[in-house]
Amino acid sequence: METKLKPSFLDEVASIPACGKINECVQCGVCSGSCTTAAHWEHPPRKIIAMVRAGMKDEVLNSSSIWYCVSCYLCTARCPRDIKPANIMHALEAIALKENYRPPTKTTTMYRSFARSIEQNGRIYEFGFMLEYFLKTNPFAALKMLPMAFSLLTHKRMPLLPKAVKGRHQLNQMFHNITTGGSR
Amino acid sequence: MEPRIGVYVCHCGSNIAGTVDVEKVAEFARSLPSVVVSRDYKFMCSDPGQDLIKNDIKELGVNRVVVASCSPQMHEPTFRRAAQDGGLNPYYFEMANIREHCSWVTESRKEATEKAMALVRAAVRRVYYHQPLEDKQVPVHPDTLIVGGGIAGIQAALEIANSGHKVYLVEKEPSIGGHMMQLDKTFPTLDCSACILTPKMSLVGAHPSIELMTYSEVDYVSGYVGNFRVKIRKKARYVDAAKCNGCGTCMTKCPVKVDSEFDEKLSKRKAIYTPFAQAVPNVTVIDKEHCTYFLKGKCRACEKFCERNAVDFQQEDEVLDIEVGNIILTTGYQAFDPTPIKEYGYGRLDNVITSLEFERMVNSAGPTSGHVLLKNGQEPKSVALIHCVGSRDEKYHAYCSRVCCMYAMKFAHLLKEHVQGTQVYEFYIDIRSFGKGYEEFYNRVQKEGTVFFRGRPGEVTDVAQTPAEKGKLIVQFEDTLVGKQRRLPVEMVVLCSGLEANKDAQDIAHTFNISLGKERFFTEKHPKLDPVATMTDGIFIAGCCQGPKDIPDTVAQASAAAARVLALIIKGKVEIEADTAFIDEEKCSGCRVCNLLCPYSAISYIEKDKVSRINEALCKGCGTCVAGCPSSAIIHRHFTDEQINAELEGILL
Repeated sequence: METKLKPSFLDEVASIPACGKINECVQCGVCSGSCTTAAHWEHPPRKIIAMVRAGMKDEVLNSSSIWYCVSCYLCTARCPRDIKPANIMHALEAIALKENYRPPTKTTTMYRSFARSIEQNGRIYEFGFMLEYFLKTNPFAALKMLPMAFSLLTHKRMPLLPKAVKGRHQLNQMFHNITTGGSR
Repeated sequence: MEPRIGVYVCHCGSNIAGTVDVEKVAEFARSLPSVVVSRDYKFMCSDPGQDLIKNDIKELGVNRVVVASCSPQMHEPTFRRAAQDGGLNPYYFEMANIREHCSWVTESRKEATEKAMALVRAAVRRVYYHQPLEDKQVPVHPDTLIVGGGIAGIQAALEIANSGHKVYLVEKEPSIGGHMMQLDKTFPTLDCSACILTPKMSLVGAHPSIELMTYSEVDYVSGYVGNFRVKIRKKARYVDAAKCNGCGTCMTKCPVKVDSEFDEKLSKRKAIYTPFAQAVPNVTVIDKEHCTYFLKGKCRACEKFCERNAVDFQQEDEVLDIEVGNIILTTGYQAFDPTPIKEYGYGRLDNVITSLEFERMVNSAGPTSGHVLLKNGQEPKSVALIHCVGSRDEKYHAYCSRVCCMYAMKFAHLLKEHVQGTQVYEFYIDIRSFGKGYEEFYNRVQKEGTVFFRGRPGEVTDVAQTPAEKGKLIVQFEDTLVGKQRRLPVEMVVLCSGLEANKDAQDIAHTFNISLGKERFFTEKHPKLDPVATMTDGIFIAGCCQGPKDIPDTVAQASAAAARVLALIIKGKVEIEADTAFIDEEKCSGCRVCNLLCPYSAISYIEKDKVSRINEALCKGCGTCVAGCPSSAIIHRHFTDEQINAELEGILL
């Protein structure tokens, strides 16, 4: 398959703070060897880094792999060149969203529902968060979760109404700064 | 004679001219007082460049020379010689460093040019006050001190001693031999390490020109090139070396068992011991920390059974003063301890071992008589060799240790040879097989069936996820050439540790007044063109104390250091720069502050004249006494107040 390479992609990623050392990667593979989920990745993290350097922008940003990072940071702790692969995966996720690549997973919906819940209440509101996620993806899948939901409810582990933190306006200010202050 | 200054601005190709407007600097120099000629030229160090200086001295009557070019470390001797050839005293020369201090470290052309002009102005002002000086010659003591009795020290000692010159070889352990003695075979030829080393060791032990001092350390060094004075502490062995014939009866009778350092704690030695059977000298030593007599006040079994009455519990440390002309440091390395890399489980998981432990295990004289064994006494059916442990990793050592790829492949070969049907896996990042016959050895090991996986493992664990993994060590890694994460169960894991600087490298460097690099290896004078000399004249380095290297490179370096020393010995004298200090006895109050300050013990108090006086043969021109004298009575030749003030004004104007 002929792929269209975008050589500027490496510079684009390298210009993001905390991704600046991507070009120093020696492809040793300790990130993929350490990764808790890499067994399920189409392209392991080391390969994603190689693909970024090769300019394979579309393949990288359309890949489900970058969304599989669970932020355990084992890769980053063990990387001999201090590349911080986990940061790179999250930076790639951010580019994918900004440039309207359609991630082949439901992870974005999960992230967004989670973020909205925090934005509104200053803390996680499980019931609302899961409700939004299932409504936007597959409401029928929620049926499978019913026994667990019921169990959580009866043990008073999942309140039905949201509880907000104090000082919401400060939190709003923080979100505002993050979303308008650029990628920093 | 009125100073007539000639200024020469070097382009150094584009090294200087690429950043500094050299023509503008030369033109500026022309406007400075006393400058009679100012030129710029492509390469001042070339013959035509030097001829410019010589011609101007003859034809224009130039009697002071300023060259604005590179560091004086590079070409000061060249231009001093040019001035001398032209008929001037070589000290009528001053160098302005507009390369290392200017063009290489400044981006803006305008700023670099301004800085170059300031540096040239400073040199012009300074050279105005220069005075003619004469270099002095001092004799070179023909004896040499070599510190460290590994293969590097042995090689250097033999090279020098074979010319008939005396060598003192100091080793802190009870025997010479070093790390090479611990190795089983050597890559890529598979020579038995001990078999090629022990003949050299016995040559050293018997050589009439080598005075071997084992179990000894250097306490203090003073003096300078050609004339070092050294204090060596011979630690008490509690065995009289003149009487002991190495029969070994004491070792069999000693009741105390201690982990053997030589066998990497895989076997036991006694409290009175030689580290290994072929020790040179073959004289036992009592380990005071473990000896029952020293701990509890009784036992003395060794003394009772020694037929030659060689055991002497009253022995004390002995300090020897020697004089030598040159010193070679061959203090070697230590193996990286992989304990801090928790994910590889060394010290926590059985059957995860280090490379030196493997070397001892696979050696027929080692603790298992050459059998590679698991903790349970069985032979491993599968072994993983992990490269780059502690090397090529910013958290430990960023450098490549240069030998691990090759010794790991040697291990693969030895495993196939020693353990029938065992499966061997190498986990590497890059294979660095750069030496003669090394790539061929890589190919040989591949042919023998060793499997190479490209990928630095993430972890070694004993937590099984499948029945096949039960009871095994699991190496989790990415096969990077396939792009898949894998888990590989094996029975033994060898961590191929890198080489690092000795833990006491800092102390050694301090004792011998040489410098250390970032990774604590000794710094050579020039990384390419002067790799065995140091910034301290008369002190040379060879082997792994300078950086990780294999045996052939170590031996080559040791021979090179010996050649450098022999050149000095044979010439018999060395020129010392004339920039020494002297005391104006009219001004000296006799306070003696300088006597104590001088690091070279060059100043003494003359009782009858009530003044201090400097022995110029000992003075190194460091300037400490000049700054310390409360009466400003000490004058530093070539660094007079007049000269330094003029230089400062030149920069600050």
